[in-house]
Amino acid sequence: MPDCTAPRVGLVGAGTISHLHLPHLLRLGADVLVYAQAGAGELTAAYGGTVAGSLDELLSQVDIVDVATPTYTHYDVVRRALAAGQDVICEKPLARTSAEAAELTELAARAGRALYPAHVVRYFPEYVTLRAAIRAGRLGDLAVLRFYRSGAFPARTAWYADPELSGGIIVDQMIHDLDQARWLAGEVVRVSATWTRRPGPHPAEAAHVLLTHASGAISQASGIWGPPHLEFITGYAVAGTGGVLAHDSAAERRYVRDLAGPGPSGPVPGIDPAEDPYFLVLQDLISAIRHGNEPRTTAADGAQAVRIAAAAVTSAQSGQPVDLALEVPAP
Amino acid sequence: MTAGHASAPPAPLRIGIMSFAHTHAAGYARLLRDQPGIEVRGSDPGPHPAAELRGRALAAQLGVGYCDSHAELMDWSPDAVLVTSENARHRPLAELAARGGAHILCEKPLATTRADGQAIVDAAAAAGVMLMMAYPVRFASAFTRLQADYAAGRLGELIAIRGANNGMLPAERAWFADPELAGGGALVDHVVHIADLIDALTGAEAVSVTAITSRRLHAGRAAAETAGLVLVSYDTGVSAAIDCSWSRPATAPTWGGLTLSVAGTLGTADADFFGPRSRGLDAATGRPLELPYGPDLDAALLATFLTAVRAGEQPQPDGAAGLRTLEIMLGAQLSARTAQTVTLATSVRGYPGGYDRI
Repeated sequence: MPDCTAPRVGLVGAGTISHLHLPHLLRLGADVLVYAQAGAGELTAAYGGTVAGSLDELLSQVDIVDVATPTYTHYDVVRRALAAGQDVICEKPLARTSAEAAELTELAARAGRALYPAHVVRYFPEYVTLRAAIRAGRLGDLAVLRFYRSGAFPARTAWYADPELSGGIIVDQMIHDLDQARWLAGEVVRVSATWTRRPGPHPAEAAHVLLTHASGAISQASGIWGPPHLEFITGYAVAGTGGVLAHDSAAERRYVRDLAGPGPSGPVPGIDPAEDPYFLVLQDLISAIRHGNEPRTTAADGAQAVRIAAAAVTSAQSGQPVDLALEVPAP
Repeated sequence: MTAGHASAPPAPLRIGIMSFAHTHAAGYARLLRDQPGIEVRGSDPGPHPAAELRGRALAAQLGVGYCDSHAELMDWSPDAVLVTSENARHRPLAELAARGGAHILCEKPLATTRADGQAIVDAAAAAGVMLMMAYPVRFASAFTRLQADYAAGRLGELIAIRGANNGMLPAERAWFADPELAGGGALVDHVVHIADLIDALTGAEAVSVTAITSRRLHAGRAAAETAGLVLVSYDTGVSAAIDCSWSRPATAPTWGGLTLSVAGTLGTADADFFGPRSRGLDAATGRPLELPYGPDLDAALLATFLTAVRAGEQPQPDGAAGLRTLEIMLGAQLSARTAQTVTLATSVRGYPGGYDRI
């Protein structure tokens, strides 16, 4: 039975992702309660919604929790939300570690609650187009896939720079493309990676990851966190027996300007407000929670993405490929 | 020589083309043929595949001289030769040329085994002839600009390199699909170009290689990998990802291309060496009309080689560069076979090297 009342959504966190989520939650007609250790007042002043005094207060008053806190807190916040009987939307990565992500998936299943990671790239039109072309057979059998993603080092808050807290570029940024590779070419059986970190006055991080899929297809993901002026660029090049398809966000633009003054370098790539993927992901996941339709991204997807990312980190540290046996669940 | 001239014109430079097996041989022949002060002869003894225009007939079509055997070509005493045979047959030709005192421009890869590569370098050194590798992309102005940005520190400290050299499955010559003669598949064909550019740009030493491959593309003709992805880690902490796949459909309007993206702590640079083109549509078929333009990098490569031969000064990329890039390619092949990361155990720069798989 469709639920036509306004959803009551609790948004936890008031950082970058909350600024991307709150206006869309309100546009979706949600009554939004915001809890954050800092910044909730500024956030609701800018967009709307109400500030909750504590996480427990928030959890007692909403039906859906949207977890937009730093990565290392996802596990605790999601667990508390599930324990309070809430359905949960969680910003990617689902959790900081593969074990935590697997445990959350298990907890949600046992509680009979939804747990949906907001893998927003699945809602970007250029990736939706790629997926549709593959599904329609236009590329034939996939053979080799390449993904890249680069932008400024996230210096807005300190935790990104600490791999213990953020997981580093592989777990935080490249997880988008690791999820894409799996979404498009299927389960991953082997992972190899390199990871370069340059802390200091000009912090930078880079990683390359190679994936072997169970299907026999092979994928490469490359990620860069560079200097503050670096524009956020993403792209892919996919080749199959039936054709090739490539996209570069720097090349495909509906609006280009060249004005005096420094250009913006934001935490997200350029998006068209008419098909804003941050709106589409929340619309899809809230609809799935309220109406039971299958969402485009599930807890299992989120856990697998973290598992692949964690394997990549292990490979980068050990210097050898990591085998992911399909039947063995995450540790 | 006519008396009365203050200086006689220099004798024409004699350039031999040893084998027309590689498709580049014809291109080199055309470029050399049109230059003053150069005599060109080729030697391309058979047997040849029936479908391929080779040997004397190709020489005639190209308008260059011809010798029935490589020995006959060397009897002509060429100043220099281009070795453009099948990849696995470079060594005997290069050794023959070195013994005859001819400088050598060797098509890439230098060889298909470490032993052959080393033997070629040793033969050139023993004979006192110059050995140059045919890595033309080094001579692209975009690469010169990249080198200048890097050298001036505008990129900062490098953190990552990403390269893609995607072309069609080589179809003009049957041997490209024969792993014995080609030395393998896509890994042999395309890893070394990007490895050489990184070598020339950074001077960094490759320390380990990981590769994964697929035969799914062109599966009906694939006797070796037709797609490959390679990670190369360097002693500076930088790592490079290379896509060497033959992923360009045979029906594509142009052969493919080579891109290199270099990221540093202060900025990034992207080179698309064969990218610029006019784009349109063919009204009859609706197919893309793509007309690339740009300088001929093979011409710049040959000019450097010929200048070096005339001046007697060793050009770059030399045989050592050929060995370093060969080592990375061989490491990639071993990694793909074993599903392990391969450590290049001893200094690739302090060749000879070897593998120590951990």
